[in-house]
Amino acid sequence: MIVKVRNLVKRYGNLVALDHLSLSVKEGEIFGLLGPNGSGKTTAINCILSLLKYDKGEIEIFNQPMSPDAYNIKRDIGIVMQNVAVYNELTVYGNIDYFCGLYITDKRKRRELVKEAIDFAGLGEYTHFYPKKLSSGLLRRLNIACGIAHKPKLIILDEPTVAVDPQSRNKILEGIMKLNEQGATVIYTSHYMEEVEQICSMITILDKGRAIVTGTKEQLKDMITMGEKITVETFGLSDTQLSAIKGLPNVISVDYKDNLLVIKSSKGRNNLENILDVVKKEDIRFGKIYSELPTLNDVFLEITGKELRD
Amino acid sequence: MQVFKLCMQIIRKNIPVMLIYVILTAVVTALMVSDIDKEYQKEISFTPAKRSIAFISEDNSLLIDGFREALGQIVNFVELDETQLQDALYFREVTYIVRVPAGFTEEFMKGADVKIDKSTVPNSVSNTYIDLFINQYFNTARLYIKNIDGISQELLVQYLKEDLSKTSNAEVKSTTGKKVTYPTYSNNYFNFFAYTLISVIILGMSMLMIVFNDRNLKMRNSCAPVIPGSINLQFILANLFFTFASWAILVVMSFIFNYKNSLNAYTVYFIISSFIYSFCCASISFLIGNLIKSQNAVYAVCNTIGLGSSFISGVFVPQELLSGSILKIASFTPAYWYVKANNAIAKLTQFDYRHLQPIFSDLMIVAGFGLAFFAVALAIGKRKNYIEN
Ligand SMILES: Nc1ncnc2c1ncn2[C@@H]1O[C@H](COP(=O)(O)OP(=O)(O)OP(=O)(O)O)[C@@H](O)[C@H]1O
Ligand SMILES: [Mg+2]
Repeated sequence: MIVKVRNLVKRYGNLVALDHLSLSVKEGEIFGLLGPNGSGKTTAINCILSLLKYDKGEIEIFNQPMSPDAYNIKRDIGIVMQNVAVYNELTVYGNIDYFCGLYITDKRKRRELVKEAIDFAGLGEYTHFYPKKLSSGLLRRLNIACGIAHKPKLIILDEPTVAVDPQSRNKILEGIMKLNEQGATVIYTSHYMEEVEQICSMITILDKGRAIVTGTKEQLKDMITMGEKITVETFGLSDTQLSAIKGLPNVISVDYKDNLLVIKSSKGRNNLENILDVVKKEDIRFGKIYSELPTLNDVFLEITGKELRD
Repeated sequence: MQVFKLCMQIIRKNIPVMLIYVILTAVVTALMVSDIDKEYQKEISFTPAKRSIAFISEDNSLLIDGFREALGQIVNFVELDETQLQDALYFREVTYIVRVPAGFTEEFMKGADVKIDKSTVPNSVSNTYIDLFINQYFNTARLYIKNIDGISQELLVQYLKEDLSKTSNAEVKSTTGKKVTYPTYSNNYFNFFAYTLISVIILGMSMLMIVFNDRNLKMRNSCAPVIPGSINLQFILANLFFTFASWAILVVMSFIFNYKNSLNAYTVYFIISSFIYSFCCASISFLIGNLIKSQNAVYAVCNTIGLGSSFISGVFVPQELLSGSILKIASFTPAYWYVKANNAIAKLTQFDYRHLQPIFSDLMIVAGFGLAFFAVALAIGKRKNYIEN
């Protein structure tokens, strides 16, 4: 086990930020910690890294208890903080070299590693820039490069893609998968379910400091009753038309607003076909009609009764 | 040495701000130098002829006799009786009347603050020279009385005569048109140094501390396998390196501006005293850096401590002109003791232990301040590798 967290409790005064959180991260995984703002992702990461004192619980990394002075554990961890932590007084190169140098003292080896990290983050053109001159996407990439340059066994990334444009985001996600292929175990927190779905092999969904479900994305989706979501673009539906749809087999819920009819059904073979039949019979005129498989948002919605992002 | 190197880099990036203070010093120094040159020109034009003065003594003692004899080397005495005095002044027969009040010697030997009375022609520049001489004579005498318990008048006069034979050479030289060796320039420069140095160092150090106390960076650094003690040590090293680099630059600057007046024994002592003061500044800035969290606060504190302590300690205004209560407050700042030591160095006539001892004790106080601040800073600024909440 690379990381093992048992019954972690962290309180800020009266606020319970982590409520008996347990996690296990296996070697080679990209472990996703998915949760809305304020659900306790950063708090969990900070506790795992012994940056924060916690009220209760046990944390083991590489099968050894983690503590503020467990330097042999820290040596093999790479961390990319949610808040960009780079020195404005150092250039892109200087920053990566500084952080890498905290782990690797050998100068020649470090030069290689820094170069690799620069290539990895696509910062080749910007090595002599100071952070103040970088766009927020480039800054994020610098933050990542600083965290991974020393080739750690465990990489922890706390929302590394916040405020990054889709293109940069995809680059970052690809990079993380590459690091994983090269052997690093990854813990990745995000409130973007798409990202987590895209890269994570194991996912824990966090809400109000509690782990509400854990599993692969397929397992998570299997946990909920909804199996399909069908959306129809249409306007002026009458109550009889609506109730005809509601009466169909497998239909769990029907939601009609802003000229969008959203029908959620449990798993079944002919859900879309049935709906098309009603549409034809009731002479409902429509623009588009499409069917989607459930997302992690639906998982979250069904379990907590609220949207992942609001 | 990652942290040390980082510190150097941060300081390098902040050099432009610090340069403002250094340039200010340069400008003030340039003004000072040209001012001294002007005074020196005056000196040449006014001192060739010995002034005529009247010497009235209501006190009879060995000390006064010795004083009269010494004074006689730079002035001519005109014998006048009481009734002629005012006329003599009016018609410029004499420009200066010295009057030793009755009981002066007795009080003076007890260490009381008694003064020689004088009447002068208004606005006569050359009288300053006589003032200077009289002040120096009795200031030196006071030093002896303070440091040698129960010194006899005879011995005192003898010591003073020895001292004067050494310095009056220099003074006599100045009357014949050679450079003044009285270290006014260095004294002023090194006093002003107190302001520049503390400002620059507080600024530089605080810049470092702000970066280092940044919560995100602190957390990020705590993730790395570096012992907090090692970070602290590198930090202190960087602090000291920066301090003594600043000190060295300012010392070199003092030479550049006025090397002719700098190559003497006084300068050595000024350099020693400024070195000790630099150490004290480093501690102060280390402490302040541990207390301050924001960039704006840095400038405020830098100005308050830099300007404030310099004002009350006699960096800008001579200590003699400051009121006793202000000086009492100032004595809680190291700048006061540093300036006091510098002024004493400037008045030195002999560089032996007896004369240097009071200066060293002032400097010990400066060093003591430094150690105290440093200890407090260490206690407050203990780095941990986790954050509070
Ligand atoms: N230093 C603190 N003092 C008090 N409360 C805090 C502190 N830090 C976080 N919290 C609270 O703890 C809860 C969890 O915060 P945390 O930052 O871990 O959430 P998060 O999942 O990382 O959110 P985000 O997606 O916005 O980063 C929040 O309610 C937050 O307000
Ligand atoms: Mg967070």
